[in-house]
Amino acid sequence: MSRRALLAAAIVALAGCRRSGPPSDTLRLALINDPVMNAPLSPDIGSVIINKVIFPGLMRPSDSIVPEPDLATGYRIATDGRRYTFSLRPGVVWHDGKPFTSADVKFTFDQILDPKSGTLQWSDFSVVDSVTVADSLTVDFWLKSPFAPFLTLLGHNAGIIPAHAFTGPIADQVDFNRSHPIGTGPYQVAESVPGSYIVLTANPRYYGARPKLSRIVFKIVPDVNAQVAQLRAAELDLVTLEPANIRGLTDEPDLRIDQVTVPQHYYVGFNQSLPLFKSPTVRRALTLAVNRQAIIDGVMRGYADYPQGTIPVALKEYYADSLPKIPYDTARALALMAEAGWHRSADGSLRNAGGRPFQFTMLVDKGNPSREQTAVAVQQDFKRIGVQADIKTMEFASLVRDYVTPRRHEAYLIWWNTPLDPDQFSYYGTGQSNNDVLYANRTADSLLALGRATLDPARRRAAYLAFQAVEAEDPPVLLLYYPREVQVRRAELKGLPALGIRDALRHAEKLYFTAR
Amino acid sequence: MGGFLLRRLLQGLLVLWLVTTATFLLIHAAPGGPAVLADPKLSAVERRAIEERLGVDQPLPIQYLRWHARLIRGDLGRSFLYQTPTLATVTSRLPNTLVLVAVALLAALTIAVPVGLAVGTRPGGRLDRLVGLVNFTSLAIPPFWFGILAILLVAARWRLLPAGGMVTPGRADDLADRLAHLVLPVAVLALPLSAELIRFLRAAVATAVNASHVRPAAARGLSPGTVLRRHVARNTLVPLLTVLGLQIPMLVGGAAVTETVFAWPGMGRLSVEAALGRDYPLVMTIALVVAATVVTANLLLDLAYGWADPRIRSEA
Repeated sequence: MSRRALLAAAIVALAGCRRSGPPSDTLRLALINDPVMNAPLSPDIGSVIINKVIFPGLMRPSDSIVPEPDLATGYRIATDGRRYTFSLRPGVVWHDGKPFTSADVKFTFDQILDPKSGTLQWSDFSVVDSVTVADSLTVDFWLKSPFAPFLTLLGHNAGIIPAHAFTGPIADQVDFNRSHPIGTGPYQVAESVPGSYIVLTANPRYYGARPKLSRIVFKIVPDVNAQVAQLRAAELDLVTLEPANIRGLTDEPDLRIDQVTVPQHYYVGFNQSLPLFKSPTVRRALTLAVNRQAIIDGVMRGYADYPQGTIPVALKEYYADSLPKIPYDTARALALMAEAGWHRSADGSLRNAGGRPFQFTMLVDKGNPSREQTAVAVQQDFKRIGVQADIKTMEFASLVRDYVTPRRHEAYLIWWNTPLDPDQFSYYGTGQSNNDVLYANRTADSLLALGRATLDPARRRAAYLAFQAVEAEDPPVLLLYYPREVQVRRAELKGLPALGIRDALRHAEKLYFTAR
Repeated sequence: MGGFLLRRLLQGLLVLWLVTTATFLLIHAAPGGPAVLADPKLSAVERRAIEERLGVDQPLPIQYLRWHARLIRGDLGRSFLYQTPTLATVTSRLPNTLVLVAVALLAALTIAVPVGLAVGTRPGGRLDRLVGLVNFTSLAIPPFWFGILAILLVAARWRLLPAGGMVTPGRADDLADRLAHLVLPVAVLALPLSAELIRFLRAAVATAVNASHVRPAAARGLSPGTVLRRHVARNTLVPLLTVLGLQIPMLVGGAAVTETVFAWPGMGRLSVEAALGRDYPLVMTIALVVAATVVTANLLLDLAYGWADPRIRSEA
């Protein structure tokens, strides 16, 4: 046997023995950065994801839009909607063996309600006035006003942390936050190597269903191409990817690609304090001018849904499915522009009575191929009706801090990632903190306020359907698409609920592998 | 000698001050700001609380002075991104980079010294042309592309070596596993490095071969091997040390691209993360540690010149 044949045989043997065998008992996931393992702090997506596994909250996301009790066994809502009484699950212990009590819940929310603690959830819960302890297993939340998204937000990022583990400010507890966090979740941190990986092992005292895997390993892999390579090399089991990175993975026999709808909407925002974008007619015309199906098919490779309003299809019954979709119609766009006083001049550009061209700067963040390509597609479509959008790319941090926050922007391509609740008062309510497009519509304001304050699901639904009808007439933004989250996993990995990865991981105990 | 050392030490301190000041100005001149503040969802209340906590609400001159005031107390501040003491974060990553780059340098030298000597003695020969082609290619290939290609072939298709990381999680004490993780990133780093070393060696050898003291040595009837060893190789030591000296910043600063592709938790990746996240304290500490190491290494290198070439020693 020649040396080359020997080597080939060795390679085949190696490959062969890796590809079959008993079911794996370790799930390997990627994070792009070292996480802060402290739920109320969670400064980035990596932290949010791992904290879902370590720190359960009072509620957790479920397959339906209504969250299910988690560390609570149930709750009562006072008739005025301003007091929630939670009965906590008895017998729950922390990863260090100490009992979980109402004091921990109060401690966690005292942190969340104090922006100086370093929490990034203050605005989620700014409606909470105080949290009081009735007995060791009963907690009362006192709200300033009725707040329908409250239960969903409790299951969103509000994992409970142990009061007994902290003596000073929670942001200063480096050892807890980086190496030895203590939660109540199905997996607990066994080993943490900065920059490399975090190993979690099954929590034998977990209060819910027994975890099916013995370990979950989070590997720090900052680069998405490296993540894909590790997935192909069977060193990662599940990766969420952008459509641009999926090419070539679709034919891999060992991999499966799942798509789930997530509560996100991508859009071009127009600063409506500028005269150029004040008119709803102009904003409707701009929406009609963009071939959004072409962007979904071309840039997003079909992994996105055609948008209606700002409430995406992931919000199920709150999504206005029956409203007519705004099509791609340049003739109608031009007619609307003419109605608003913008006419085509000899050189093809749109100009108003004063001869001013319809021209503005459109910001997009640098480095994300899907968004940069989308920006160019939008620019081309605008050009067809004589609108000139000058693209300016910059780092995301610069876009937010130097332009959007100080309101120095004209137009920009961005997205919102929301909890699984239709409440968008802070985004599109007049004068609200996240209303960066400076949208102002009184009807929308009252519908959004109603939707946020009404606990009755039927009335809520009616309010949001009406809000989306208002949006069709007076679009707050130019909706581009609702992206689907693309999860590429090993074929043997099972048990993942049809949720975005961050919500799905709160069901980590259900994940398992079948035999290869 | 003592005067020389003192002079170099003072120069070194000046260099450190210049480097950190320039770094401070550059990182603050970059647009944007700390990553945690880039969340458009933050309300004004949260934004203000974070700015206060990070100390970025203060005017720049105050921030600059505060950094020095803390430095004197031996406190290099806390990372915005990691919320850990920056010096601890840097010193935890430094060994990882040292291992990677030192092994790559060693591998590059192992290839470059014999090849460089061989092609240098016969410039224009067949071997020289072949080596030139390989060198040119390996310098031209972007390490990012080469790294991904190596992973896809060696790790994904053939499953011969791990695709990334320093060690398989949970097998931290397994030396063989660690070595396996080193192979691909070292190869990707060493290839262009050795190409560069070969180029320098080839030129140095070619010059030395034609030096006035070498030809007579051959004429005296010394074997080609002895000539090469005793008269040529020694004379290439100084240029070789110079080229090696140029690689020292990488030894501590890390190889950002290779470390990113191979998910290697080294200094290069840390620097990129710190710079992109506008983690001002971490960026400053990295600059300080890297600059201090380079200054010290250059000092040692100067002493090494003296060892390699006694004439330099006498001048000092």
